[in-house]
Amino acid sequence: MSRFRDPSTISFQYDSVRRCIIASYWIIIALALPLWWKTTSIQRLPLPTSEVYTQAQKKLQIPLEICVDPVFSSQVSSIHASIRNVASYLEVNVNIGQHCNQSAGYAVLPGDQLLIQDRKLYYPTTLAVENLPSTLVSLVAPEMDQRAAQYSPRYRLSFTLLNEDGSAGQVVTGWDIRQAISQYISPITSALGILHNFTIESQVQFHAPLAFEPASLADGTYGLTPENLTVFINSAEWTLSSSSSNDPVLHFVLFVPSAKRRPLTILNLDGNPSSSSAFLIPQWGGIVILNLPAPPPTTLDLTLPDLRSSFSPFSRQLLTLLGFPRLPPSVSSSSKGTLSLWQIDSLLRQRTHENVVRSHDTLRSTVTVVSQIQGMPVDSQVQAQVQGALKALHELFAFARTNLSLDEMLVYSARALTLSSKAFFHPGMLALLYFPAEHKYAVYTPLFASAMIPLFAAAMREVKAWRKERKEAKAKAAKDVAVDGAAMDANAVDTSQ
Amino acid sequence: MKFLLNWLWLLAGIHYAAGEHTNNWAVLVCSSRYWFNYRHMANALGMYRTVKRLGIPDSQIILMLADDAACNSRNKFAGSVYANTGRELDLYGDNIEVDYRGYEVTVENFLRLLTGRHDESIPRSKRLLTDKNSNIFIYLTGHGGNEFLKFQDNEEVSAHDISDALHQMHQAGRYNEIFFMVDTCQANSMYSTLYSPGILATGSSVVGENSYSHENDYDVGVAVIDSYTHYVLEYMERVNKTSRLTMADLFASYDVPKIGSHPGVRSDLFQRPLGPQQQHPMAEYGRGPGWKVEGEWQGREGEQGKMGKEALITDFFGGVVSVNADEDAGDVSQFEPCDDAVLHKSLKSSPVVSSSSFLPTSRLPSSGSLYPILRASAAFLLLGGLFVFVFIGV
Repeated sequence: MSRFRDPSTISFQYDSVRRCIIASYWIIIALALPLWWKTTSIQRLPLPTSEVYTQAQKKLQIPLEICVDPVFSSQVSSIHASIRNVASYLEVNVNIGQHCNQSAGYAVLPGDQLLIQDRKLYYPTTLAVENLPSTLVSLVAPEMDQRAAQYSPRYRLSFTLLNEDGSAGQVVTGWDIRQAISQYISPITSALGILHNFTIESQVQFHAPLAFEPASLADGTYGLTPENLTVFINSAEWTLSSSSSNDPVLHFVLFVPSAKRRPLTILNLDGNPSSSSAFLIPQWGGIVILNLPAPPPTTLDLTLPDLRSSFSPFSRQLLTLLGFPRLPPSVSSSSKGTLSLWQIDSLLRQRTHENVVRSHDTLRSTVTVVSQIQGMPVDSQVQAQVQGALKALHELFAFARTNLSLDEMLVYSARALTLSSKAFFHPGMLALLYFPAEHKYAVYTPLFASAMIPLFAAAMREVKAWRKERKEAKAKAAKDVAVDGAAMDANAVDTSQ
Repeated sequence: MKFLLNWLWLLAGIHYAAGEHTNNWAVLVCSSRYWFNYRHMANALGMYRTVKRLGIPDSQIILMLADDAACNSRNKFAGSVYANTGRELDLYGDNIEVDYRGYEVTVENFLRLLTGRHDESIPRSKRLLTDKNSNIFIYLTGHGGNEFLKFQDNEEVSAHDISDALHQMHQAGRYNEIFFMVDTCQANSMYSTLYSPGILATGSSVVGENSYSHENDYDVGVAVIDSYTHYVLEYMERVNKTSRLTMADLFASYDVPKIGSHPGVRSDLFQRPLGPQQQHPMAEYGRGPGWKVEGEWQGREGEQGKMGKEALITDFFGGVVSVNADEDAGDVSQFEPCDDAVLHKSLKSSPVVSSSSFLPTSRLPSSGSLYPILRASAAFLLLGGLFVFVFIGV
């Protein structure tokens, strides 16, 4: 009667085809779920948490053997106690020996004057013997200078000659920087080469204005007040170091005031010119003001003798910035001008101790932060770095007592420090942004709710139809009227639509 | 008794040590872009000028700025940014070092900056190279809402992200103390989730409240600065490098009728007292005339018991390059006369709603963490159920 075909006879309306189509949607969703889960979850590799905590509780004991001449035997326990008091990281062992002068280690011997030579201390018997422990403490474990820069295996030393204003005449056009460095800086960098790797760069600038006006004094000279000194560096206009690497930079600036503002002196707190023309900015570097002599010299290239007055402050400043301990004023060194082994050794011990403490802290922080912040990824590099740092520390602790020299200990501790801070500051360790549950629903609902509802509805309808079909088929079978069951079935499906 | 005394000394010593810092850093973030957000750029540049004036060198100021105002084609005063009607002071000047500019101002870069997790290739000038002796001043301005700050109409940073980042800084020993200041709508929510020690925080407005812009310049054609920042900057003009003014003095200067919103303070994470215990400037904080609700000050109770040096404004805004180790800053207690450069009449033009408040102001504060999840899932189920019923027609 109708010119339309019966839907159940169209190929794509067959129940089986329709069910296949609906099922394929669900199959794809089911297959996609694990993929979605994998792509949206973050990689969090396990870190050796308990190992880190155990390691972080350990304390490194650096052995220190001191051989004391029998003359000073009364002070042995006092030496031991006072060193332990100041530096708990030292495992002090004080022996009384007849042949201390032949030993390669530290030795305290009677002498004519208070003098150090190699690793030996000559202590005059005329001096009060009660002061020996404190002298030894200041040699073996001196207090770290607050102005020292934080330890880094690499440093960049940047030397800059700044002409305040080249256009005002009397410009220093060059300096014999190679000679000056080899004379004043290289002895330090080579002696401390075990601790740091130094890169040196230098430059000359012809226009370097100050960001403030120096005070004009009554006698026609100019002065820098203590307050001026704090803002002396005009970092906006002076480019003091190349930005080619991220190593920490120690700056050394030789500042030549403009011809209009000479001489420029540094003022004390009370406003009087101070005798020094150099000052130090903690952790940053040193500055020396160079006033050209009143009748301007014929040559304006600074030669080595001209640079003497500026480079000896630079070398002192460099030592301070590197944390190099000073000798106690009463003690003199047999090798004037070079760095004594007592000082180098104590710096090595201090830096090793510092590095171990810092890498413990960093490792502990890494593990804590990762466990506290759930959205923080941990990839294989971080894992390897943490394990590497732990390994270096294990080795250091295992061999510290037996067969490691101070240099080797420092190398281990520096490796642990570098690896642990690399792990903590790994660029991949950026936590996922915080999304409250509301945000997640707000993102997923518009997309998925609209797509899922028809799918659910179709599936449920299909299930209902299928169950009804089965029920009717069962009923018919029971009644045993199977004559034209197929037609009835088709009707049943029709009515449900 | 002697034991007790020793103990007290020890405590005092610890607190004293906690207050020491050898360098100052500033992170100034303007998270908005486009011409109509001129005032946010002026806010950040105003702070930049102040910290620079008080002695933080440019190399230790990280400025994140869209920087599309000064050279905007709509800017009649090309190359200048002004923060006041009458255009007395050009904040842009000739010495502005913007470290993160334009599209570099992103949430990711901000969090990387704080946590120090940079790619190898990032230059030193874009890094916050602080250590455990650094005091950091963090200033955020832009459009925000409850517990979030919008970055350039594109993404948001949540208060939780900032708290986590600061916590990681604490863990890594990247700061001694932090002063955290936010000028945005519902700004106080931005510091509500902080949990690391040594942070002093302040914001411009309570939850559910807008922050307002201060004034228009009809030649520039837009609002030039936000009210809260304007009055903070105005106060900062009284501070010089040797000033002994304390943080409590700054907070006590908040004037609600002028600012138009209720600034808040959070000091419970901060170990030092904000001001002198005798005649504390903040004794009546948030209770004066003009405050419609009592001022929010988390940590008011703890203030009494704190020991140590009071927090000076210059602890965060000044550059403390102690040039000589044994040199003391001295006990100079003088004010620099106001140089009136950015001061002007406190005449307030009709406040422009500065920030779109994205959430209705009557929004319930989320009580507990379970509540929003429950609410959201209930809504999800209800909606879904409704749809299914309609579709199947059961």
